[in-house]
This record gives sequence, C-alpha cells and structure tokens, in this order.
Amino acid sequence: MSRGAEWFAHVGAGGTPVAGLPASVRAADTTIDGVPVRVVAVVRDPGARFPRARQGEVGIDEGFALARAVRGTPPGSAILAIVDVPGQAFGVREEAIGLQRALAASAQAYVQMRRGGHPVLALVVGKAISGAFLAHGLQAGWIGAIDDAAVEVHVMSKPAVARVTRMDEADLVRIAREVPATARDIETFARFGAVDELFPAGVAPEAVVAALAPALRDGRGLRNPVARLAYPGAVQTRALAREVRARLQEAWDA
Amino acid sequence: MVETLNYTFAAREPVAQRAHVGVVASGNCEILLEPAEGASASVLVRTSVNGFAPTWAAVLDRFFARHPVAVNLQINDFGATPAVVAMRLEQVLEHAR
Amino acid sequence: MIALAESFAERSARERARGLLDPGTARELIDPFERVESPYLAAQGVVPQSDDGVVVMRGTLGGVRACVVATDGRFLGGSIGEIGGAKIAGALELTLRDAERGTPTRLVLALDTGGIRLQEANLAILAVSEIADAITALRAKQPVVALVAGRVGVYGGLSLCTSLCSAILVTEGARIGLNGPDVIETEAGVEELDASDLPLVWRITGGKRRFEQGFATELVRDDVDAIRAAVVRAFEEPRELPPLEMPAIPEGYAP
Repeated sequence: MSRGAEWFAHVGAGGTPVAGLPASVRAADTTIDGVPVRVVAVVRDPGARFPRARQGEVGIDEGFALARAVRGTPPGSAILAIVDVPGQAFGVREEAIGLQRALAASAQAYVQMRRGGHPVLALVVGKAISGAFLAHGLQAGWIGAIDDAAVEVHVMSKPAVARVTRMDEADLVRIAREVPATARDIETFARFGAVDELFPAGVAPEAVVAALAPALRDGRGLRNPVARLAYPGAVQTRALAREVRARLQEAWDA
Repeated sequence: MVETLNYTFAAREPVAQRAHVGVVASGNCEILLEPAEGASASVLVRTSVNGFAPTWAAVLDRFFARHPVAVNLQINDFGATPAVVAMRLEQVLEHAR
Repeated sequence: MIALAESFAERSARERARGLLDPGTARELIDPFERVESPYLAAQGVVPQSDDGVVVMRGTLGGVRACVVATDGRFLGGSIGEIGGAKIAGALELTLRDAERGTPTRLVLALDTGGIRLQEANLAILAVSEIADAITALRAKQPVVALVAGRVGVYGGLSLCTSLCSAILVTEGARIGLNGPDVIETEAGVEELDASDLPLVWRITGGKRRFEQGFATELVRDDVDAIRAAVVRAFEEPRELPPLEMPAIPEGYAP
C-alpha cells in the first residue's frame, strides 16, 4: 500500500467515499474533531487505463478527477490533500491529450475553492514532485509534512537533472548542501518557510490528526501562497523574492 | 566553475549613457556598460569557460586601444568566441554613444 | 511591395516586450543595471544574467495601462528561478491590486520557457504556485493573456500556469506541452517518444495543433505587427479558453 493510500485510510477512516472517481483518486467526506473535511489522495492504480499513470502519478484522468473531487466539496467543508505523488505522467498520449490542462484543472479547483472560503490543507506523506505537487498540495493554505527519507520534494529525477545540468551525481550531492534550493529532502524544503508543521518520522496518525484540528479551525487553510513570504521561516530564505516585489511595487507607477 | 577576471585601462573619452547588449547563452555573452568617473576604464568578466585570461586581455586591449572610453564594463560570458566578444563590445559602445 | 514580416521569435525578451507596448510607452521595471541577479548560479558553474531571464515592462497597450512580462528563452532555456518567478508573480499581484482599485492594467505573459529552473528548484516551485494562484484570482476580474510565440514554447509548471490564463495566443513555431520530448524519452524510453522526431513533436504539441484542439484562442503569424494587433484584440474582443475539462482524445492516442 502506498504512503498516500495508507494515510488516506488513517485520516479518512469512516468517511463517506465520493463516487464517480477513477480508482487512482480517492476522496471521502469525514470529520476531524468535528470539522467537516473532504480528504483527497492520489494512489497507485496498476489497472489505470493510461499505462504511464499506474504508479500514483498525476496523469490525465487524475488531474481532471482531482478537480471534480475538489469542486464537489460540500459547503462548509475543508479540503485535505494527502500528498504522495511521484510526479506527473510521462507519456506521448499525455502530451497529445494535454496533460498541462489536466494539472491546471486540479490547481484551479484548489485555488478557487480556497479563495471561495474552503480551508485547504495538505499533508505530505511521500513524494511531492513538480507539476503533480503544483496540482495537488501546493495550493494549500497550510502544509504539514512527515520528516523521513521517503518524503521528497523536487522537480525532476536525479539522472535527468544530472543529464540536463551536465553534472555527475556526486556534484549534485555537493551542490544540494551548498545551494539548499536544489536539495530534495523535506527538511531542507521546510527551511523555505512553506511547511507549517514537520512531523517526526514514525509519527502516529493520531498525533497528526490532532495537529490538523486547530489548523482546520483557525483560518490558516485560507491563506494564499504569497502569504508564505511573510512566514517566520521565510524571513531569510525568501528575502530576495520579497525584495523583487518591493522593487516592482515602487517602480510600478513611478 | 565561474571564473572572475578584472582589468583596468587608461581612458580619456567620456560616453553619454549606459547601455546593455547580449544574452548569457551558449557561445554568447551579455555586456553592461556604464559611464565611469575619471580617466580609466574597468572591466569585470565572469565566465563559465575557464583558463582564457590571456585571450580576454588581448580582446580587451585591442578594444580599448581603439576606443579609450571611460566606462565600467561588466561581461557575463557563456563561452563567446573572441570574435563574438569583440562584436558585442563594439555593439554596446555604439548603443552608449 | 509586400513588407517583409519581422519575426517576433527572433527578438530578445526585452525587444518582444517593448514591441508589444504602444511605441514610446515602454519602461522596464528592475532593469539589468539594478543587477538583481541569481545568487545561486555561480556555485553551480553558471554565470547569471543581469535580468535573470525575465523582463517586466510597464506602458500602454491600445492606449490602456498595461504590463508585459516576457521570459528570455535563451538564458538557461528560459527556465524560471527565484527572481524571475518573483517578477512574474509580483507583476500579477500588482495587476490584481490595480483591478481591485478600479484602475485595471492589461497584463500579457509572453512566455518562452522550459519550466522550473533546476538550479533553484525549491524556490522556483514555490514561486510557480504563487503565479498559478495569482493568474486564477486575476482571471476572475479581467482577461489574462498568454502569448506563446518563442522558440522554446512553454513546458513544465509554466505550462500549467499558461493553461490557467483566459486566453492563449500561439504561433506555429511554438510548442505547448508539459514534459519536453527529451524528458519523455529519458523517463519512458524511445519507444514511447523519439525526441529526435521533430515533425512528430510539433504534430503533437505545436501551436497549430493546440489551436486546432481548442487549447489556444488564436493562432498568430510570427510577425511583430500581427502579434501586437492580436494581443490588443485579445483585450478589446476577449475570447475565453474552454473550461478545463477532459477533452476529446485525439485519434491514435486513446489509452
């Protein structure tokens, strides 16, 4: 069972499944500490119709199904994305059909529901890669993650990065230490301030659920991504992004 | 590795304004030119193709011999040939006049 | 005598942005001389570019206040890093503020980009999430026009963002995809896609194909004047892309 499926079971236990989704997208309406939440996860489906989307990738079917699941969230309910996505589906069919639109559909749904007043939370329990993470997880107003080696955030596989940058893997390891923006582990990603809570490896599901409850209630799930620039953890690491914005603002109507 | 090289030249001609040309693409370079105070020119080269300091010196010597302009130049280089660098230098100076 | 078309694709990002705005009105924000450049590249053996590969210009478009953001496809494949990402997101956020204040600014995203810059991945992916949010919020109030008319096209997270815009103007020479052909070949093998088969790549992801699929609102000639006119029209006679829903599957690509 994938991490995503496992955590979906922990958090969504006893919830009412949402019908009409492909097997690779699970959604259920449940309550956490009395707060209604629609829990959404992408899981492996070895029987998925697109061969390049059978390992939990966000492909054509998953992107559009995520959008439907998110948009169908009942009024007054928060949304919790369980994130374990090894990436976007790599395939010629996907390109021909327009995978960028499927991912955009999901991202758009999360944005519009969050801005429409539904708190959106994300729990990163496995891989959170590239376009898949942009589509499912990164539009959350609150992000929690488990700090263990199976949890990675990055945009491309190591061999592909090595090929494109013409570096060998030893170089990339050194560079990841010198340039944290290139690191792939969740602890380093968290240094950029976007992770609200980092749970220790082996954390019990009850502890995570207990931490979710206040986050569901206090409005943090409604924050827009740009708000992360002002989070305590971003004071140093996002200073340049803030400076660019300040310069643009000063010059905008000069 | 990014190699950084610095050069100064005697200069006497002022230039009217700053100028910018080029792009940091393979085989190319970007040059920012700003007017300098006084009677000298300075050049800062940053290049990802290492070991060509004498070539840079030669190209820049030739340029400043022809145009003793009081400028501060910054060159961001990604493997431009001497011919391309020389062309960019002429181009940026033309924009500055 | 027929005037020779002047290629937009052959222009630099700066010239593209300037050429779209009404003559004499273009003013660059955070120009190269401010030297706001990436601090992360030298350690990775890469020389930074003074504008980080993204140009933001204010001016007017068809007489109305406007902003054009243009990415430079020639610097690191047009990939988006922390600074470039902040330029794009910041321009969108300021445009959203203008819309909320009742002084709307026409916004054009002239994107020519391979996606997220690997050398700044964590920072760039956060920036792209800000861009996606800002486009979606802005689009609720006014057109958000993407112009994909360069040599790279749009890929990766920026292709996701492009698809969130209300309108996409595309040229035949540009491509719109998520994963580039080299990446697909590396990840899925040459049987999945032979990246060297350029005609096939354009048949699948080229601008003409995307327009035929309904994924772009206009197919424009690679000509500066034609593109400028089309961009103005995109605001004065707005067209909207269809909703983001499962499309008809092209023949031969059914799973």
